[in-house]
Amino acid sequence: MTLRTARFLAGAYLILMAVAVTWPGMVPFARIRPMVLGLPFSFFWPAAWIAMAVPVLYGLDRVERRHRDGEEG
Amino acid sequence: MERWVFITGIIVVYLAATLVIGLLAGRKATHSVAGYVAGDRSFGLLVMYFVTGATVFSSFAFLGGPGWAYSRGAAAFYILAYGVLGMAPFYWMGPRIAELGRRLGHVTQAQMITGRFPSRALSALIALMSLIAFVPYVTIQIRGAGIVIEAVTDGHIPLWLGALVAYGIVIVYVLVSGVLAVGWTNTFQGIFMVVIAWALGLYLPWKMYGGIGPMFEQIAAARPELLVQPGLDAAGAPWSWGAYSTLILVSAVGLMMWPHLFMKAYTAKDDQTLRRTVILFPTFQLFLIPVFLIGFAGVLLPVAPPDPDSILPFMILNTDLPALVVGLFCAGALSASMSTGDALLHASASVVVEDGVNQFVRLDDRTQRILMRVLVLVTGATAYFMALDPGASLVQLLATAYGVVSQFAPPVLAALYWRRATTAGVVSGLVAGWVTAGFFYFNPGLKPFEMHEGILGLLVQVPVLVAVSLATRKQSQEHLGAFFPARRAS
Repeated sequence: MTLRTARFLAGAYLILMAVAVTWPGMVPFARIRPMVLGLPFSFFWPAAWIAMAVPVLYGLDRVERRHRDGEEG
Repeated sequence: MERWVFITGIIVVYLAATLVIGLLAGRKATHSVAGYVAGDRSFGLLVMYFVTGATVFSSFAFLGGPGWAYSRGAAAFYILAYGVLGMAPFYWMGPRIAELGRRLGHVTQAQMITGRFPSRALSALIALMSLIAFVPYVTIQIRGAGIVIEAVTDGHIPLWLGALVAYGIVIVYVLVSGVLAVGWTNTFQGIFMVVIAWALGLYLPWKMYGGIGPMFEQIAAARPELLVQPGLDAAGAPWSWGAYSTLILVSAVGLMMWPHLFMKAYTAKDDQTLRRTVILFPTFQLFLIPVFLIGFAGVLLPVAPPDPDSILPFMILNTDLPALVVGLFCAGALSASMSTGDALLHASASVVVEDGVNQFVRLDDRTQRILMRVLVLVTGATAYFMALDPGASLVQLLATAYGVVSQFAPPVLAALYWRRATTAGVVSGLVAGWVTAGFFYFNPGLKPFEMHEGILGLLVQVPVLVAVSLATRKQSQEHLGAFFPARRAS
């Protein structure tokens, strides 16, 4: 993956997240069911966006690091 | 032995451990401003991870989080939603800020902004507004510490004494060791907070309802309105989407801009440490899940606590927990309070001296460090006396503080990324933003869609910054050259 693609995808994830946890993106998911891991869906939804941010940022970092190493080498 | 004596014993052990760690931490620092404020730029990943997490999550999250979940339901999830949004941009901004800091000698946010937009008035204005935002924030931390100690000792240790002892210790280690004490004590306190939150958050629903799922099933049957956004407002009426959404946005921007967090970019050992801290931050943030579970566990209790913010101590005392657990919980809450309070006290003193006083009177390195220590004491004492006043509406003040600090975002972004921005543009934008936010703070009835005043301030500030910048003369190439290293030819 190129650096540009990786940055675009990570940036897009954050913007999507901002939309998904506020009005109007949150509205369809502000519901109790289905419950996931015992949590109401309204609770699980923002938590899932947070948890997914770790692999997204990690993936971005891998690409950024490879790019920096290539630059120095 | 009486129960409260045993609990007090645990608190004393915890406080003693914090003090020892704080004092030992400073032994290696150089006697310089960079040592006191930026820890000689030496923090590794472990320390950065806990400094960031423990500083972001204060006693507001630890005590206010369950309080919100208990009384306002899904409204509390706003606290969950903004953290990552506020932190992730630091993946790119952090190394950039740190690089400028190393090269141009910055240790504060205002130095970075005024390095690009030279103006002593701007520097002093940023210092003053930072202080206005800091004092209520410290006050909440001190009050939180006092409330918890008073509650778990059945009133044997009153608020004034508990707060005095806890913050007396904070002040001692900040005075002696500077940011290194903040770093190492926060590591200790951060581990404490996370472990205790998860342990209690899983244990309470299991003990009271037989599990998390059964707990939410019962709440869904009895109080379904608590489980869907935007939840309830402070009076128990349905809250608005406008207020919920803009509170998330202003908190994310504010989080990015809080000077005491921003300054931590200068303490990291290297850029990769900063980036890894950002990547791992969401794992720390998930500790809010058990924090909310604690609050929800209280929803169906037959007796109500005296006020929502004391739901956590109230439940701890009313569920027949072993004294050891109560003592550890209290230590966790104190960790949350002190780990934010110490960073705030340290940052406010650094900011006032570096960006306020030092702009007008040239002080040598030694005098600066002495003055910072005096200011740590003065700020701490002011906040302490404010914390004793039960009438002060601190949560309201904190919401305002976010309105103030969120206005730093356009100047910071302009300094880092927009070559065409000018000093006149940044100053007039900032003033316009603060005036707007202040106007809507004092006239809440006029807010469109109940939007947060900080967002309204930003909506005015950005066009003013852009328009005035474009109308004034562009900064010279050599000045810009120091801020924007030549682009690679690739």
